[in-house]
Amino acid sequence: MKILVCMKAVPSTGQVQVDGQFRLQRDGAKLQWNIADEAALEAALTLKSAEDTVTVLTMGPAKLEDPLRELLARGADRAILVSDPAFAGADTVATAGTIAKAAEFLGDFDLILCGRRAIDGETGQTPAMVAAALGIPCISNAESVQLQNGAVFVARRLESGTVLLSVPCPVCVSMCEYTYTLRLPGIMGMRRAKSKTVELLDSAALGLSPQSCGLKGSLTKVISMDSKFPGLRNGPKETDLNAGTDALLAMLQEVVK
Amino acid sequence: MISQNALRHAEKCRFCFMCRHLCPIQLQTGKEVNTPRAKGLLLSMVNKGAAEFDKDMAQTMYECLICDACVNDCATGYQPPLYIREARTEAVVNDLAPQAVMQLIENVDATGNIYGVQKPSFAQEGSDVLVYIGEVAACKVPQMAEGLLKVLAKAGVSAKVLDNEPASGVMLADLMGYVDEVAQQAKACAAAINATGIKTVVVLDSYDAEIMKQRYAQWGAEINAEIITATAYVAKLIEDGKLAAKAACGTLGACHDDDRLARTFYEFAPIRAIAKAAGYQLTEMFNKERLAKSCGSAVALAYMPNIVTKVAAGRWDDLARTEATAMLTASPEAYLCLSQATPEGKQVVDLYSALAE
Repeated sequence: MKILVCMKAVPSTGQVQVDGQFRLQRDGAKLQWNIADEAALEAALTLKSAEDTVTVLTMGPAKLEDPLRELLARGADRAILVSDPAFAGADTVATAGTIAKAAEFLGDFDLILCGRRAIDGETGQTPAMVAAALGIPCISNAESVQLQNGAVFVARRLESGTVLLSVPCPVCVSMCEYTYTLRLPGIMGMRRAKSKTVELLDSAALGLSPQSCGLKGSLTKVISMDSKFPGLRNGPKETDLNAGTDALLAMLQEVVK
Repeated sequence: MISQNALRHAEKCRFCFMCRHLCPIQLQTGKEVNTPRAKGLLLSMVNKGAAEFDKDMAQTMYECLICDACVNDCATGYQPPLYIREARTEAVVNDLAPQAVMQLIENVDATGNIYGVQKPSFAQEGSDVLVYIGEVAACKVPQMAEGLLKVLAKAGVSAKVLDNEPASGVMLADLMGYVDEVAQQAKACAAAINATGIKTVVVLDSYDAEIMKQRYAQWGAEINAEIITATAYVAKLIEDGKLAAKAACGTLGACHDDDRLARTFYEFAPIRAIAKAAGYQLTEMFNKERLAKSCGSAVALAYMPNIVTKVAAGRWDDLARTEATAMLTASPEAYLCLSQATPEGKQVVDLYSALAE
């Protein structure tokens, strides 16, 4: 069983900045792995038996090499960094196309696990688009995933409960946040990770032209960006609990209007 | 592989010197390199390629009690234990940790505890509470464990103690940082506790209580019960009238606030309530409560006995500045360390045994 886990490095909450073209600035920002992607990795490591391999893949700047190495220490067998200046500014279509190309380049995966959405963009589109590009089914909003006789059994979260699905491999599954707690790196894992290489894939390796990836390959363009509730954070500080609750309630009522 | 978060704590020190005046190890050894800020500077130099993380630097990272005194008083709110723990992980991964530390880790591998011995059992059946004894009390201060169990029996509490009590992981965490091996110990411990179905866990060693309350859940090792320190639990029994106060013994004592009760749980009143109920007249040392000076930890004592004995002597110096003749403690770790340097004419008192008598 070959498992691919797609990970995204997102800015830590409260540190998001955008440039003149409304692209997230990741270079100076403190980054963390997307929470739902961490659940996807732990799901993969939980499923993994001795014969299986777990490959982690991320698309982003070169500085993600060390964080990727940490994922090797946590139990991943192989780490892939898809990085090229040409990939900058990619929307979900361009991102999914690039990831799908990388997945094809790396070989046939039986299972692709992703987080269901990233905490920066919150679109939740990429997993389904990757699956579509690869021509495989996608199950979104997974709470748990198990393997049996070459099929994947997924508990999928619905608005009114949970549905159990069985799908033959290959399949893409997007995991809900907080469903699996990502394990800590172990001492032995860290020792192993030291001798492993984070593999780099750029646009040339993937055979992608500049027109088909990054900002140029994107179908959507952000034309403006505004804060929904400017100034809300700058209100007076209230130290009394009851008065603070009343003030918060009034503020929420104002927003709902 | 020091994380960006830990490096942020290491590199943003503004050199205000407060931790220099507070660090119990620096106070005793006088070595500048033993200040938390110096440890941060060293790691910052490594990160910038200006120094190599070698055996000497690894040794320095272990000359720390992780007592949190520096955290408590850091003017800028930084947390040296964050990067010190990660540096220890780095030391173990790269075989740079001191030999004495590696020996303790091997002992944990072999026996589950740093002492490399079969952990003595205090197993008993009960249904009201589960008492978690911990490695230090079980292996080194058994009289305190017995004292606590007697106190609970005296109050009519039906207390269960596990046979083959699993390690909490706190000792391994001090030796090698928060790594998967520690989380695995935590999971085993949580599973054993949850299997009893008992809804209140009384934890004798506050170091164990800290890791259970603050770390277990984020490692997926939830305990389905309330975790309460033994000091808080016994103080409540006294408050509820289930334990009668003893007659005054005529001895003036000062309570030692152990590192975790002082700076993790901010639990100061319970130990004093226990001391009063045990018949002691109380005075206070200058460094008390959140500012209490550490007297050492059991793990540090095991790999650097000379330094920790000096640190414990430093705490006795604090007592010598009062009229008290007794250092009162309900912590097995503190009892063990203080016992290494008890001055003539002074005594370290295990409050549970005193209350049980």
